[in-house]
Amino acid sequence: MLTDTIIRYVKKVYTNFATHVYDVPPRMLALLILIIIANLPFMGIPTHRLGIFTTANLIAILAVSWDLLVGRTGQISLGHALFYGVGAYATALLYKYLHWPWWTTIPLSIIAGVGVALIIGIPCLRFKGPYLALVTMAFPLAVVGFFYYYRDIFRGETGLSVKPIFAPPIVSYSQKPIANYYLSLALLTISSIIIYKVATSKTGIVFVSILDDELGSKACGINTTKYKLLSFAISGLFGSLAGAFAAHLTGSANPRYFIEKTALIPTEYSLIPIIATILGGIGTIYGPIVGTYLYYTLNNYVFEYVITGIDKPTRILFFMAIIIFLIVKWPRGIARTIVEKLEDLQEPREVEEILKEKAKSEETS
Amino acid sequence: MLEAIIISGIITGLIYALIALGFTLVYGISGIVNLTHGAFFVVGAYLYGILLNHIPKLIPQDLAYLTPTFAIVFSILLTGIIGSAFYRITLHQLLGEEVSILIASICACIVFHQIIFIAMGSLYAFSFTISPLVRGTIMIINTDVLTGKAVAALISLTSFIILGLYISRTKTGRAMKALSQDLEAAMLMGVSTEKLFMFTAGLSAGIGSLGGILYASTVTYGTASHMWMLGLALSFTVVVLGGLGSIKGSIFGGLILGFTQEAVMRIIPGAGVLQDSIPFIVVILALLIRPKGLFGKRIEME
Repeated sequence: MLTDTIIRYVKKVYTNFATHVYDVPPRMLALLILIIIANLPFMGIPTHRLGIFTTANLIAILAVSWDLLVGRTGQISLGHALFYGVGAYATALLYKYLHWPWWTTIPLSIIAGVGVALIIGIPCLRFKGPYLALVTMAFPLAVVGFFYYYRDIFRGETGLSVKPIFAPPIVSYSQKPIANYYLSLALLTISSIIIYKVATSKTGIVFVSILDDELGSKACGINTTKYKLLSFAISGLFGSLAGAFAAHLTGSANPRYFIEKTALIPTEYSLIPIIATILGGIGTIYGPIVGTYLYYTLNNYVFEYVITGIDKPTRILFFMAIIIFLIVKWPRGIARTIVEKLEDLQEPREVEEILKEKAKSEETS
Repeated sequence: MLEAIIISGIITGLIYALIALGFTLVYGISGIVNLTHGAFFVVGAYLYGILLNHIPKLIPQDLAYLTPTFAIVFSILLTGIIGSAFYRITLHQLLGEEVSILIASICACIVFHQIIFIAMGSLYAFSFTISPLVRGTIMIINTDVLTGKAVAALISLTSFIILGLYISRTKTGRAMKALSQDLEAAMLMGVSTEKLFMFTAGLSAGIGSLGGILYASTVTYGTASHMWMLGLALSFTVVVLGGLGSIKGSIFGGLILGFTQEAVMRIIPGAGVLQDSIPFIVVILALLIRPKGLFGKRIEME
């Protein structure tokens, strides 16, 4: 009885709302999420814990770029950490050996990321389906071996240290996490808007056509090679952007950006964006962001503050089990399911009604 | 030098081929990339190690020499049951969602990793040495080879032959072959896909655990809870080299990988840190020449 009333009320509110703002769900949801995320520092989270959400923002960029490549173009990549690591190492090497400031090294590392994306994109054009997934998974693992082999240049396990962007002369020590957080949030907003624009543009439609039917789009005269490479390049651009800023915000670039080998905690940067995207909903732009936040809140807050008193392995065990459960329960993603449910709630309207409304609005104007 | 590379390459390659066999079998029959295989590689090795310590208490003294055999059989059976059950609970619901299956199975690997970590304690989780099947060394064409390793290679070869016979001679085997050739036609002929997929998942987990046992008993550091990554890396390198879904291909892929690894380790000084990267470099280079592997098809039996 009560639930019925609530559902009816929500339905009423939503239909009223939806009739007034055209194309509501994605945009309003995005705005709502942005408002909530932007207020996080004032929601009682201690400043020293904000670092988690700074990482979450950067990983969300990676996840969104992964979504463009996989969810939109259909090129399954399991080694997206390659771009993240290349971005981080490029900026760190330039800082370490040439002492350049961050605003010159980051653009250069983005160029490096795009270059790497093109270099691995060209051989990857030949692979399809599971082969592509397995080969892309191999790239970061193959690269990281050289980082250990040439220990003198890359400093092996410890990695290279990088000068943080926000150091005491610019921002006081206690304000540093907040500054980092807002910088990463700004980056996330800008990147996701750009990727959204790309995905909804003509190019984005071509990407989706490659996902749906590669042969068909070829038959329509689309140069699929060019568009696949373009997708790789855009994806590499944002991946390396996230990596470069991650190096500057955390202060180091180490092999863990590529892969965590003997880790107790699977902080694998190839894996987290994918888990996040699957959780949120693949092939959407808002999905990966929602998924990343869900992942980090679950991993760091729920299991550290809400459910306390269990050791780390048990925590990870339950966490991963929950993720498997969520994936099995909602294979299409949580955020997408919610958005689709909301769209279903919207009552179908008669054509006459819409015409009446239009006439009314014309009269008033 | 060359003899040493060839002999040890064949032996290592056969073990690698067995590790990859289960992976290729699942892809060939049910068409999914089941990365849980890496977890069963480790679970099998741990179960074997535990059973090796406990079985002598349960069986009469004069049967003590059969302990490794019992341990191998029981760990294969247990892993097979776990693998089959896990497949039915999760992956079977996701059939058709490629990326979701990949991620769910990687998450499952991490779950098994943590279960082992909790069950074994942090001491044994990082390194759990397993005694070799047979001790001592033998000489094969001027090369010293550990007897345990040679026996492991023999076991691997035998299991390939048994599997080949099983698939070509028995009813279930032929049903599996039919499924891999044409799913819908096989269903029309009365093959129960659900049961057969479950059986295949169990079989592949069992074979994976045998691979894990052989691998862990031939290396000095034994097994560790995070080694699912290694098992996965080895098996997918072999499989991609030989062609996904081809049993013949996994033998060739394993041998190629074995030769390359032995050659690099013996020729380049200080290549120890590169050991984990070699499979990936090999696979990238090889795929540039043949993008679908050597025998890239759905399953094929000789």
